[in-house]
Amino acid sequence: MRHMLGIKGLTRDEITRILDTAERFKAVSERRIKKVPTLRGRTVISAFFENSTRTRMSFELAAKRLSADTLSFSASSSSTRKGETLMDTARNLDAMKPDAIIMRHPASGAPHMLARNFPWTVINAGDGINEHPSQALLDMLTMRDHLGSLAGKRVAIVGDIYHSRVARSNIFGLTTMGAQVVVAGPGTMCLPGLSDFGVEVRHRIDDVVEDADVIMMLRVQRERLGRAMISSVREYARFYGLDLDRLGKARPDVVVMHPGPINRGVEMSPEVADGERSVIMEQVTNGIAVRMALLYLLLGEGRPALGGDDAAA
Amino acid sequence: MLLLEGGRVVCPRTGRDEVADVLVEDGQISAVGPDLGRAGLRAIDCRGMVVAPGFTDLGTQLCDPGETWRESLETGSQAGAAGGFTTLLLSPATLPVIDDPSVASDVLLRASRASGSRLEAAGALTRGLKGEELAEVGLVLEAGCIALSDGGATHVDTNVLRRALEYSRPYGSPVLLRPSEAALEADGVMHHGQVSLRMGLRGIPAESEEIGVGRAIALARLTGARVHLTHITLARSVELLRLARRAGVAVTGGVPARSLVLTDEAVDAQEYDTATRVLPPLRPEADRAAVVAGLRDGVLSCVHADHVPWSRVEKEVEFEYAPFGATGLETAFRAAMTGLEGDVSAVVRALSVGPAEVLGRAAEIAPGATGDLVIFEMDEPIVVHGPFRTRGVNEPLVGRSLLGRVVATVVAGRVVYGPITLQG
Repeated sequence: MRHMLGIKGLTRDEITRILDTAERFKAVSERRIKKVPTLRGRTVISAFFENSTRTRMSFELAAKRLSADTLSFSASSSSTRKGETLMDTARNLDAMKPDAIIMRHPASGAPHMLARNFPWTVINAGDGINEHPSQALLDMLTMRDHLGSLAGKRVAIVGDIYHSRVARSNIFGLTTMGAQVVVAGPGTMCLPGLSDFGVEVRHRIDDVVEDADVIMMLRVQRERLGRAMISSVREYARFYGLDLDRLGKARPDVVVMHPGPINRGVEMSPEVADGERSVIMEQVTNGIAVRMALLYLLLGEGRPALGGDDAAA
Repeated sequence: MLLLEGGRVVCPRTGRDEVADVLVEDGQISAVGPDLGRAGLRAIDCRGMVVAPGFTDLGTQLCDPGETWRESLETGSQAGAAGGFTTLLLSPATLPVIDDPSVASDVLLRASRASGSRLEAAGALTRGLKGEELAEVGLVLEAGCIALSDGGATHVDTNVLRRALEYSRPYGSPVLLRPSEAALEADGVMHHGQVSLRMGLRGIPAESEEIGVGRAIALARLTGARVHLTHITLARSVELLRLARRAGVAVTGGVPARSLVLTDEAVDAQEYDTATRVLPPLRPEADRAAVVAGLRDGVLSCVHADHVPWSRVEKEVEFEYAPFGATGLETAFRAAMTGLEGDVSAVVRALSVGPAEVLGRAAEIAPGATGDLVIFEMDEPIVVHGPFRTRGVNEPLVGRSLLGRVVATVVAGRVVYGPITLQG
């Protein structure tokens, strides 16, 4: 495994190996000296072409706690933007001899383009509506912490499934790990074709909360309003939001997750977000361990051969 | 004088399929038959090869005037010749658009000097191809254009399209349309289906083309216009055309050559390769098979190169930001031959006979016919690779193993591509 472009194509063993490695890295962040020398002398650049605070900070902390030299830059990117192309930006980065680029980009497939053309490791930190692999891995780690194993567990994902890279990566990962995935959301965001990925497609949130081991709520992108995707925020909250009433119908030990940032009162009420079933802050903590594991497995000494998306290499 | 010696002469219109010599004099075919050779004649040894009427492409984009870094009349004409095309009907989608007699005259004058394929032009159906006002189609046709076209820009306003078809009908020229409901193309970048869902790319529903085909057929019936649909890529479109033809509506259809061999899986297999971003998008296997069958049974009469060249400036970007289009002139024949599984007669019908008929012409090998000929062979599949004559860098078939190879192209008796020897 040279790149981490997506969960799609990873095997159960590969995912398990990443999660097991992350498990071991959790301890580093609990120490007083939160640093190990694993990636000393390696250069990791985070290149974010789309706004993100938590993912970038999480990756940077992960790299720093592994003693890598890190730097980051943010740039805007759009089809109408004048100026340097992504390929030119990457050629410049390449000239600086990095070991890995952590990349977020609003266009699906952008990290794949760099992975195909350059010698360094590319880690996808979210590309368009395609994948957000480190998020899915930290989600699966968090689920595993609470459920022991993922096999046979029932995970409900609620919201804008179609435009969510978090949902897509989780669907690929969870189905590979043997979990049952059920999705619910507005008709414009929860297309029937998803059932071909081994996912059960429902629409009403009430149909999916009752027997779920995990309820994962997705963030509503307000820019979808006005593009004939949803009619109003209040209607969305009424039919697809998770509040205490709905949570009351779920199993008492249900695990409630959200990739953040939360629109309080829209997809999730504050009482649920801050309630005892919520593991949202654990997700954030686990994010660092998972990203340390990824950096270690991709860049560390004796890089293990895991196969997977290496076809492009 | 030029002698094409000893080739398998395939002419679907006359039904000829036999080994014969073809003699071309003063730009016209003067004789077809055995042993036409004599000393001192310029000749091409065609033994083991096929001699067929030259290919005609409808709606070629050569980006000249206006965007000659993408292609020019000369490079496009050369690329066409290398692909076996003897005639290219240029799309009016240039800068400025060919919607005015002075632009048409300029293009046609410069086109007449091109050294490869013969270049002719289609005029725009509406001003600026915007689908808002009628273009001066009469003046543009008078200036030398031989067809009208939407240039691939689909009409948003159905009533304008109706009026344009009504208005242009008395001028008698065929109208080329890309069938599509533009609103459904909105933010899509590939065919909506399993592959787009898997790749996280926004999809264009097949219904966009289906509605476009239905609309074009309905308007052809309403207006009596002679409509040719240049981009048929769906099983359902083939069925709609079949029904329309049965009902006597004057509508014909063609398919982009690449759609005979590539499916939407190519977007994934080629890892977001921007050359695979085309309109209409590459479709699933069932549709690919259906358009191949449609060509075989005659519901579809044409294969088009759908040549839309782009430079690295436009295509070396993120898949979602790249413009639609791929080159095709130098690969269309091979894609057709591969998709039609070596059926020489079907390939010649689709590349030579069908497109010429749309223009009201007869592509045939018989005394008196224009000396437009192609010589090709089809022994072993060959991997597609550059360099190409087109300036476009967006060839999605690179690396694919395809059947067929153009050996020589003859335009009005002149060899514009390939070898020639003097007969001893």
